Amino acid sequence: MFEVVKQGLETSVQELPGRIGYWEQGFPPSGPADAWSFRLANLLVGNDRDTAALECQFIGPTLRFGRDGVIALTGADMAAKLDDAPVPTWQTIPVRAGQMLTLGPAKGGVRAYIAFDGGIDTPVVLGSRATFHMAGVGGVDGYALKAGQSIPLGAPANAALRRVGEARRPVIAANGPRVVECMLGPNDDWLDAPGIDRFFSADWLVQAKSNRTGMRLTGPEFTFSARAHDKRPEHGRDPSNILDHGYPLGAINLAGQTPIILIQDAPSTGGFINPFTVPSAALWKLGQTRPGEIIHFRRVDMSEAQAMRRALDAACTDASLDPLA
Amino acid sequence: MIYDAPRFYPGGDRYIEVELGDEMGFELNFRVHSLAAAIRQAGISGMVELIPEMASLQVSYDPDCISYDDMVREVTTLAASAGGSEDVELDSRLYYVPVLYFDPWTTACVEDYRAKIADKTPDPELLCELNNLAGRRELVRHHSGTEYWVAALGFWPGLCSLMPLDPAHNLVAPKYNPPRTWTPKGTIGLGGAITCIYPDQTPGGYQIFARTPMPIWDREQKLPAFREDLALFRAGDRVRFIPIDREEWDHIDAQVTAGTYQHPDIGYQRFSLRKYRGWLAERAARGGAHV
Repeated sequence: MFEVVKQGLETSVQELPGRIGYWEQGFPPSGPADAWSFRLANLLVGNDRDTAALECQFIGPTLRFGRDGVIALTGADMAAKLDDAPVPTWQTIPVRAGQMLTLGPAKGGVRAYIAFDGGIDTPVVLGSRATFHMAGVGGVDGYALKAGQSIPLGAPANAALRRVGEARRPVIAANGPRVVECMLGPNDDWLDAPGIDRFFSADWLVQAKSNRTGMRLTGPEFTFSARAHDKRPEHGRDPSNILDHGYPLGAINLAGQTPIILIQDAPSTGGFINPFTVPSAALWKLGQTRPGEIIHFRRVDMSEAQAMRRALDAACTDASLDPLA
Repeated sequence: MIYDAPRFYPGGDRYIEVELGDEMGFELNFRVHSLAAAIRQAGISGMVELIPEMASLQVSYDPDCISYDDMVREVTTLAASAGGSEDVELDSRLYYVPVLYFDPWTTACVEDYRAKIADKTPDPELLCELNNLAGRRELVRHHSGTEYWVAALGFWPGLCSLMPLDPAHNLVAPKYNPPRTWTPKGTIGLGGAITCIYPDQTPGGYQIFARTPMPIWDREQKLPAFREDLALFRAGDRVRFIPIDREEWDHIDAQVTAGTYQHPDIGYQRFSLRKYRGWLAERAARGGAHV
């Protein structure tokens, strides 16, 4: 186990593939917002890549270890210290019982991941340990970590000491506008052609009102096709209204004129159109994009999205790890 | 309208929106659930999960197991053989939901909104006005005088969209603009032509006029009804609202608090479109329903 000394801004237990099979009752998948960093952290400590680990947002926690083992830190750099010494990210780190790990604010990106050998062993709720804290499901008693809690861990493995070379890591901190791949659909036929072009050419500013349910964007106005205007009254009055329907993860959900990118804890259904969707392999970028950053959406088709997904899947394997010299 | 064949729209590389029509109606929704049942039964390799909604369903698939095109082909075949059949029967539990109409909590919630956000006609009066009902008592008779069909669940865990099965009991109302920042747990609301039950204290936009002490979701799984599941309803269940008074509310509420409350459902029944249509025709022949 480890003890939570300081909880950080919002630190939660996450697991992959998340809560699957309960979406139709309104439970979102949850899981890590940056699954790439999450999986590399698990591999570095010798776990299966989908094992439960911690997601830290903006400001990380302070933890005291209850047993010897290894950990790994990936994702956003939160200037971690083990007792008083700085510790490197993207590599296996041996720790001893009683040592204290302190994380600070993210220097670039949003989310850091802390994996522990043996994984976090909190109860499985509806098939997953992933936290959906909006409704108090999963994680530690349903919510983000709180100071004073003791978090159970699985049995330690005998992990080799390894690192992820710089070329094999996701680029966490943005250097200029963030380019995020995006596909047409499901409801692109509710926009007109200029409306679609404008979406892909615009600068989209990420608003401060963004969290694990969605990221609100500011940008140019949307313009709509005949389908959005000439529809049955039960769809609702606004051009962006549609009969309640399912919401894909990664959807660009259009509420009036405000696009909201739906991420891990997003509502399952609702009455607004989703003209575009970020494919699965680009979701990790959203998990590391800070309010105030600019997003450019790059249009990709199904075959490119599939190629990206296969490449990312291959990057999340032991082949990305090197022995620590 | 109900389309002749489903229309497919990709949502990224893992989801498909399958649209069966573009109207709000029981027959179309029943087709959605028939198709969802057929997809589940077919056990398509690579099918991950389904979200049935009003006129569409979202299919999640694993692209490592099945391509978009192959999944579209599978669902098209299933829709052609099962989607429109009158003879489809679906499992459907009937739940009796005790309801205190015009309860003090939703009344206070509406007053709070009118004082702080925007002045509006109080929700019960607005519902009467828009639906030509003489007053609150008629609103209760009208709203509680039909079974409801659980057309969909979602947005929030356990939040259900209910359609009146007796068209004579349709009620309509606009949604709040702007939405409420809070709604008491267990509130009954109406927006468009849909009744909902708020499973927890959440924001909301439906006109509100009643509250149930019976939990429809329980994250702590204290009550027997939640041993298997955190949410009470599944799409395709039915609901009947039973008006209660304050004394009955307090009695149920005490049982819920003590963890001894038994949800009054009457188990599995089969619901068929053919029988439903027969019932509707019989009512029409009798000169329609009046409350």
